[in-house]
Amino acid sequence: MPLRSHARRLARTHLVGGLALIGLAATFGSMLGFKGTTAIGVVAFAPWVALIGFDAGLWAGVSTGAASVGLWLLAGSHEGMHTSAVQIAVRVGYLVLLGAGTAVVGRRLRASEQAHSSVAALQSALIDATVDGICLTDADGNILIVNAPLQRLARELGMPLEGTVPERLLAVAPRLTDPERYRRRMTELAQAPGEMTSDEFELAGTGRVFRGFTAPASDESGRFVGRIWTLREVTADRELDRMRDAFVATVSHELRTPLTSISGFLEMMLDEEEGLGDAGRTYLDVIRRSTERLHHLVEDLLLIAQIEAQRVELDVAIVDLPELVQKCVEALRPAAVEKGVELEILTEGAPTVRGDRHRLTQVLDNLVSNAVKFTDEGGTVTVSIASNGGSATLVVADTGIGIPSDEQGKVFSRFFRASSATQRTIPGTGLGLAICRALVEQHGGTISLESAEGEGTRVTVTLPTGT
Amino acid sequence: MTPRILIVEPHEDVRKLLELSMLRLGYEPVMPVDSGFGDVDAVVLEPSWSYGRTLLRQLGDDVPPVVCLSVYPREAGLAPPESVAYLVKPVSLAKLGDALRSVCGR
Repeated sequence: MPLRSHARRLARTHLVGGLALIGLAATFGSMLGFKGTTAIGVVAFAPWVALIGFDAGLWAGVSTGAASVGLWLLAGSHEGMHTSAVQIAVRVGYLVLLGAGTAVVGRRLRASEQAHSSVAALQSALIDATVDGICLTDADGNILIVNAPLQRLARELGMPLEGTVPERLLAVAPRLTDPERYRRRMTELAQAPGEMTSDEFELAGTGRVFRGFTAPASDESGRFVGRIWTLREVTADRELDRMRDAFVATVSHELRTPLTSISGFLEMMLDEEEGLGDAGRTYLDVIRRSTERLHHLVEDLLLIAQIEAQRVELDVAIVDLPELVQKCVEALRPAAVEKGVELEILTEGAPTVRGDRHRLTQVLDNLVSNAVKFTDEGGTVTVSIASNGGSATLVVADTGIGIPSDEQGKVFSRFFRASSATQRTIPGTGLGLAICRALVEQHGGTISLESAEGEGTRVTVTLPTGT
Repeated sequence: MTPRILIVEPHEDVRKLLELSMLRLGYEPVMPVDSGFGDVDAVVLEPSWSYGRTLLRQLGDDVPPVVCLSVYPREAGLAPPESVAYLVKPVSLAKLGDALRSVCGR
């Protein structure tokens, strides 16, 4: 009876224990990173390990009848011997399984380790083989990963080898052409850890230009955990830009000579209009319009080249903004009337600004003529002026064709033209807003744009007021 | 007496235009020739033309007022010391007339 009872208890315990073991084994396998059939290997040896524990309990525990089991093994009864033989067979079987399982797991672990090591080596080779210097820092700016090109660039820039990345970057400031601007940007960056920024700086006396880019790194929950930094030398790109600008400037200057002849002789012919027939007058009008367009294009190209070369000097004085707006709007009213576009001015206060009258006129001309150009018949263009503390706000709003949302970030770039304009073959060079932005910023102001396709566009300019 | 305006311009078409323009504005155009050009009341000069500046030196120390008419802006720093007006091409007949009137007094 004790033996039978013990056998039942043993069987029951092994059954319950076995089920528990499978669960444990699966968990264990999962913790090791095994999936699917691989887990079987873990399952194979885990029961054996646990069974030892169970059996130890059985042998030691009073409730399991340690004495009777000991007797059962020692007495060598038929039943006991039989059971012992089964127990031994089971243990031998488990030993075999344990060996096999361990071998499988060991092999898998070794393979996994090799694979990880191989991927790490490839990743390292990948970031070392890029043109850009790259590094990853933690939230405090300590370097976690850095590639070979960045180490080389850091040496060339004379960066210190110790400290956080922001500290190392700040240490370079005295060697740059505009250290104050650089320090200011670094400070701004330190105050806005979530921001993605891109800046260029030049190593003084060398002509070498670098572009730094940095973006925050987040974990799966979106928490800020560090920053990715990249550094690229763009000296060759800037040299190409300079050559292109010089070429554009030369060509544009050269275009002025034939333009002088064309427009001069055209003016003379128009003075003798009486001798021309209707067809002759029409032809001359076409030549006049085309010449004016070409002249504007040349002027815009030269101005953008001057802006790029930082050669535009402002003749600053106090400018009566409402009066300036009135003059610009009146100059453009004939074009608006011809197109059937209503042009209105809303003035709130009479702000005066400190600026270059000629350049501010260029900004206004560009904005208002753009608004008229991109507004269909029956639409409205409104120019609003308001005084707002230390700044004057100028808004040019239209009910025109608008700009697709995905293109709005590029409208202040040189030569960019919105698809809504090119699809309708509305003429333009894509220089107007780039010129506006450069001139407004040179005045210490800001310019921004909001637009909805099919509804209209609103450009807001702020300028410092002056008395 | 009709004021005499020396035209120092490298491009033939523009030179011809300026010659006609002077006549329209009531001045006597003078073209530089090897034999000299006598006394002039003012000069219309393309300052980017190096030979033009050489011609200007031939006028001696007593250089008349110079109206620059250039493809380059004033910021290019090409204007000679005698320059009293600076116009950028292309320029209207009216603007050219204004500049010459301020120089010649009529």
